[in-house]
Amino acid sequence: MTKRTRASWRTNFLAVVRYELLWNIRKKKILGVLILAFALATLTLALPVVLNNLNNLKTEPNPDYVITTGTGIGSFGFFLFALVSVMNSISGEFESGSIVPLLTKPISRTTIYLGKIFAALLTMLGAYTLLIIYLAAGGYIIYGPQNNLDLLFITLLGSIVSTLVWMSIVLAAGSVSKSSMLAALLGIGVWLGLNITSGILSAFSNQAAIMTYAPGNGASGTLGTSPPTNQTNLITMESVSTGTDGIATNLITYVLHPSDNVTFSKIEILGPREGIRRVALYSEPLSMVVARSIAVAAVYIFVFNFIAWYALKRAQVAE
Amino acid sequence: MSLAIETANLTKRYGRLTAVDKLSLNVSANTIHGFLGPNGAGKTTTIKVLVGLLKPDEGEARIFGEEVSGDKADVKLKIGYMPELPKFPKHLKGSELLDIYGRMYGLSEQQRRDELPKLFDSVGLKGRENDLIGKYSKGMQQRLGIAQALLSEPELVILDEPSLGLDPVGMVEVRELIKGVVKAGMTVFLSSHLLFEVQQVCSHVTIINRGVALVSDTIENVSHKIKGPATLQIEVTKLTKTLVENLRKLPFVTDVKTEDNKLNISLGTQDDVRSQVSETITGSGGTIVSMNLTGQSLEDVFMQLIGKAGEEGGQ
Repeated sequence: MTKRTRASWRTNFLAVVRYELLWNIRKKKILGVLILAFALATLTLALPVVLNNLNNLKTEPNPDYVITTGTGIGSFGFFLFALVSVMNSISGEFESGSIVPLLTKPISRTTIYLGKIFAALLTMLGAYTLLIIYLAAGGYIIYGPQNNLDLLFITLLGSIVSTLVWMSIVLAAGSVSKSSMLAALLGIGVWLGLNITSGILSAFSNQAAIMTYAPGNGASGTLGTSPPTNQTNLITMESVSTGTDGIATNLITYVLHPSDNVTFSKIEILGPREGIRRVALYSEPLSMVVARSIAVAAVYIFVFNFIAWYALKRAQVAE
Repeated sequence: MSLAIETANLTKRYGRLTAVDKLSLNVSANTIHGFLGPNGAGKTTTIKVLVGLLKPDEGEARIFGEEVSGDKADVKLKIGYMPELPKFPKHLKGSELLDIYGRMYGLSEQQRRDELPKLFDSVGLKGRENDLIGKYSKGMQQRLGIAQALLSEPELVILDEPSLGLDPVGMVEVRELIKGVVKAGMTVFLSSHLLFEVQQVCSHVTIINRGVALVSDTIENVSHKIKGPATLQIEVTKLTKTLVENLRKLPFVTDVKTEDNKLNISLGTQDDVRSQVSETITGSGGTIVSMNLTGQSLEDVFMQLIGKAGEEGGQ
């Protein structure tokens, strides 16, 4: 019989990462969402070209196409990737019973947790890198040479942070409930609820600012110093989402236009004949919006990961 | 002799139900110790406390003198645990799973490369190691469970119902495997509902019911501790009145019943008196066709103890 010595923390951590990554790359859900994301990216690239051709219009070169498109999957894409990658990372192990042999190995639950979340991040990193490269190549082919491609790493990092917020929420729900179904339902509920609420609050209320502290899209504003005054302006002015899902886009905008302001406004219904008008609420520097959304994301990531970790750490396995 | 497992007043409750009630258990090192009890007796709960999956409400548990609590990797390093009907991640191949677990146990790459094929061979999974676990049958997962418990050559192997889900051939193989494990100097703590398995494999046994240990000793001593009538069932070629009378005269015989050429002799002793009975039959002109001693097996002891505990519980 051989006297064993404990494996180093690094060895244990990498063993969990390997364990989880092998699962992630074989998860049909992840493969499905990845295929969907590529289909959406293809549509984003090809649809304008197809429409232009149908209308006998020439597709004009657009050197800012890639940098303004991001990962091409948007807020829902971040949520969906987060959901499929971690909804059963912990709860699924409890449901299937595979947590039992894992928890009885000479490895701390903290290491198991960190390994699992790191593997999920690596999966995201791989998926988003592929998407960004695909969009960059497609954008170059369709819209000609592109500007600021060196800033694509900001897109990547920002998208990862945005996804991590949703991952943390779903992980916490799964770790506490030990149910993948509940984790998914709760995640979807929060995402839908916040999207509906933020849209309504931003459009009609004076309290839009409160949404900047919620995960997701946050409050809606427009770039510039004054609000749009009519419906035409409403359409043409560049819209900004100030929440955690907008970190990548806002960071890019900030790097390109550091002195821009974001103006928040609400819609006022004047009457059946008069229509509607935008009323300015307040303006603030884009730098402030970006810094706050990163700070808000950091708080959510920390709080929900702490809940998920604590639930795993204290979990007893009776079944 | 040093103790591999030691519990003192170990208590675990699930709400109002006391699954384990002030259990004090000692398992000596380098023995195969059976853990017997009917369903719901508290066997699996006790084991889950020992491996750190459950926290006791009262009392303490020690493995090789170290207290079991929380995330103690040093204690876990000494244990190889096979859960009842083990479940593993279906997305991994058998070889990938054992490779990952091997890393967690601190096995070097060379050790993993050398030892994993032998392990797969010894549990009868040779040739299937590169299949996804999702494609394994229940019996194959059971074998994989045994393999992962033995992976690190631990000092203590805890097996919770290792034969569950195995075919008869697999059950015999597992039994032989367990016997081989102790030869290698490990301690085995085996929970089983199969009495004959415990009797064939284990040197010691603890019988538990309703969370309380009823008896714990060597299998021989446990059998002797229980006073109960042993019975000799004998078939002879020809049954005569003289033969029956001579048997009744034996001091340890309490009753003799006959049916055709069969004798059912109740004994008032726990000693092995088969030779004396045999001599009496032969001396009375009879010829023995078959002889079977019952009432001293672990199964009888088990049934007696569980029955007694049930009666006491019911009163």
